[in-house]
Amino acid sequence: MLCHEFEGQLTDYLDGALEVQENRKFAEHALRCPVCHDLLSQVKNTLLACSASEAPLADAGLEARILLRTMPETAITCSDFEEHLTDYLDGFLMAPLYHRWERHAALCVSCSELPGDVVRAIGACYTYKQDELVAPAGLEARILQSTIGNVLPQEVRAPARARLIEWLRGALDPIVSPQLASVATMLLVSVFVLTNTVSTDGSVGGIYHASLQLAERAAGNASKSSALPNGMKQLAGSVNDLMGGDENSGKGNDANKNQNTSNQNSAPQGPQSKPKGGGSEQKNH
Amino acid sequence: MGAAKSLATNEGAELVRRCRSGDGAAWEEIVQTYTRRIYNLAYRFTSRADTAEDLTQEVFIRVYRSLEQYNPKQGDLQNWLMRLARNLIIDDYRKRQRAPQDEAADDLEDHQYHLRAAGGTVQREMERRELGAQVQAGIDKLSPDLRTCVILRDIEELSYQEIVDLLRIPEGTVKSRINRGRIELAKTLRRMRVVEA
Repeated sequence: MLCHEFEGQLTDYLDGALEVQENRKFAEHALRCPVCHDLLSQVKNTLLACSASEAPLADAGLEARILLRTMPETAITCSDFEEHLTDYLDGFLMAPLYHRWERHAALCVSCSELPGDVVRAIGACYTYKQDELVAPAGLEARILQSTIGNVLPQEVRAPARARLIEWLRGALDPIVSPQLASVATMLLVSVFVLTNTVSTDGSVGGIYHASLQLAERAAGNASKSSALPNGMKQLAGSVNDLMGGDENSGKGNDANKNQNTSNQNSAPQGPQSKPKGGGSEQKNH
Repeated sequence: MGAAKSLATNEGAELVRRCRSGDGAAWEEIVQTYTRRIYNLAYRFTSRADTAEDLTQEVFIRVYRSLEQYNPKQGDLQNWLMRLARNLIIDDYRKRQRAPQDEAADDLEDHQYHLRAAGGTVQREMERRELGAQVQAGIDKLSPDLRTCVILRDIEELSYQEIVDLLRIPEGTVKSRINRGRIELAKTLRRMRVVEA
């Protein structure tokens, strides 16, 4: 292939339009002839550069200008523009209005700076907020003087009674936190248990006394052997001591005291007297 | 940041409880925590140090007398206290607007701005100080309605709904006042060359 033939086929080669045979001859010539090789490279690079280059970006206002010329009825006025500025910044503007608003911002000379100014003004407000003025010296003292009548609050101590009332108020306040509700329920149940709901004679001790008395009576009636009643008696005695001690320190009731004394009196006596003690216990109930 | 102190919810409730029982130290803590914040709020409306000071004192007297009404279940102490303060300060502001006195806002140079101890050269501090004074001057130029809404929205950072509840005006009015106020403030600040692109 001659050099002028090479040049003549260059465009066809780059377009991929050559026959296989022609294509092979063209490529062989490009490898053999340095001048034609350079030419091919230059043309390739030029084509590449042409495809990469684009027109400079259109001015942001171009689209707006075209729309203004073609659809002038969609333009908004400056006062409409201002009216919707906060909605625009808040992101509340509906799409059709949003675009018209932005077009106005791009075109109107007197409005185009406004959104930026407003954003900067809001920013200035936030900055201003951060730089708080120091409260004037003596203001706190004046406030304290005018409220509690004393500039040395440590001297104003709450009277014990007021503090107690306030503490009780806090304690009796309905439970605020839901997490504490279950605790409150448990407390309530234990109050019921500790008062009168469970025990018939008004005390926790009563349950044990009653069941002990029943057991003793049953044992006394059923068995002639003294070993079991004696064991029972010891147990009853120790329970009495325990419950008696508790109830003396707490708020025991008369019925329990009677019950305790009657039991303690009956304890040294023989098993025969037990039913009688049990009888008096039943009366108390 | 400014000394924006605040208290945890339960801490506030506990302080109020102690105050109610007559504990002076607890009341002092409340006063110390919120004086600056309330003073600043008052100053933004009044633009006068002495009036702001009197107003702050009045707010605390009102708060002190209303402590019995505070219910921790209906929000924390700070919200309750600031709501009371805003109500009072705005009421006062409206009253003064109805009966305007010929009082010029006092010289901004008189006020001592809180300067950040760290981070920033003297030059920057001066600029910040200047900015604060200019923003206040810009706010002062707004009409009372716009001013109230701009302060509540852009300085106090209340939501639209909170402003509606506070001022008892329709949401549309609140929004349009904020919008108009911001635009006027922006234009004023541009004239003062505070904001420039």
